[in-house]
Amino acid sequence: MSDTPGDWNSALMLDGNAVGGLLEEVFGREMTSSRCQCAHCGAVAALATLLAFTQAPGVVLRCPGCKEVIVRMVNTGAAVFLDVRAATYVRLERRTA
Amino acid sequence: MPPLDWQLGVVTSLRDETASVKTLTLALPQWMPHRAGQHYDVRLVAPDGYQAQRSYSVASGPERVGEIELTVERLEDGEVSTYLTDQVVVGDQVEVRGPIGGYFVWEVGMGGPLFLVAGGSGVVPLMAMLRHRAAASSHIPTRLLYSIPAPGSILYRQELDALQSAQNDLEVFYTFTRTSPPGWRGYARRIDRSMLAEVTRPLGPTFLTYVCGPTLMVEATATALVELGLAPAHVRTERFGPTGKEHSP
Repeated sequence: MSDTPGDWNSALMLDGNAVGGLLEEVFGREMTSSRCQCAHCGAVAALATLLAFTQAPGVVLRCPGCKEVIVRMVNTGAAVFLDVRAATYVRLERRTA
Repeated sequence: MPPLDWQLGVVTSLRDETASVKTLTLALPQWMPHRAGQHYDVRLVAPDGYQAQRSYSVASGPERVGEIELTVERLEDGEVSTYLTDQVVVGDQVEVRGPIGGYFVWEVGMGGPLFLVAGGSGVVPLMAMLRHRAAASSHIPTRLLYSIPAPGSILYRQELDALQSAQNDLEVFYTFTRTSPPGWRGYARRIDRSMLAEVTRPLGPTFLTYVCGPTLMVEATATALVELGLAPAHVRTERFGPTGKEHSP
């Protein structure tokens, strides 16, 4: 999949809800309601609202505002590669007892 | 929260919702109550090790102890949905993990008023919310706006008719985008801003909104609601591609 916005196939676009299982597998907790900040435009958004492209060997999550890539995840079976360099932060709520 | 592990659910019943949509009831050995709006991942493993995985929203309410219902739309080239709708019989085992998600969820404790907007099989997680609301005997003012191509595509029609009543303040609006029933006087177009304004007027200026459907429908609806003055934080969305909710993990 190209990283050029003009090349997107928006028909294949989902959102972060769709990768909730993979995120929970990696982080050990529910992640879709966690918010992150896009390093490109500064927008803050719940992971559930990121645009998700999943019809590929990996998962790409893009900012719903500026459309730039925020997260890349590739599951090789033996491991998951996680690239979140374009998230300024990911906010993890403390569990309340 | 227990770890998200795969488990083998047993199919205890199958029900045709429409010609191309089926509901599977799965008894789960590690059942836990879900939050209405959550989904399960379904994994199929071929004898040669090839795996296919998709997500399906839970259609039942969390009050159904020990089992979940998944409503599955059959997609012509869907390698998981064709298996679930054509091949599976009662007594089969299906590998699932869940419940998953914490954003696109609604519980009675979150209050309202509640506005649900469905496109096609996007009604499934919203039905879980309505079933949960009914099980809790909630009177939170609620409107469902349900966009479908034609009358034959409506899911849960009888149950929706039975659920809505003035006493419990639930009203269901249909809009038919291709073919309307004979003599239909209701909406017969894609969801737009004036439709949203009309349907939500009785709910007052602010309400919790959940929109689930094909990507373009979700985008248009969420944008129009914000243009109408609703705070973006009150509009929660779940998209699936125009080919249905079937997608790789």
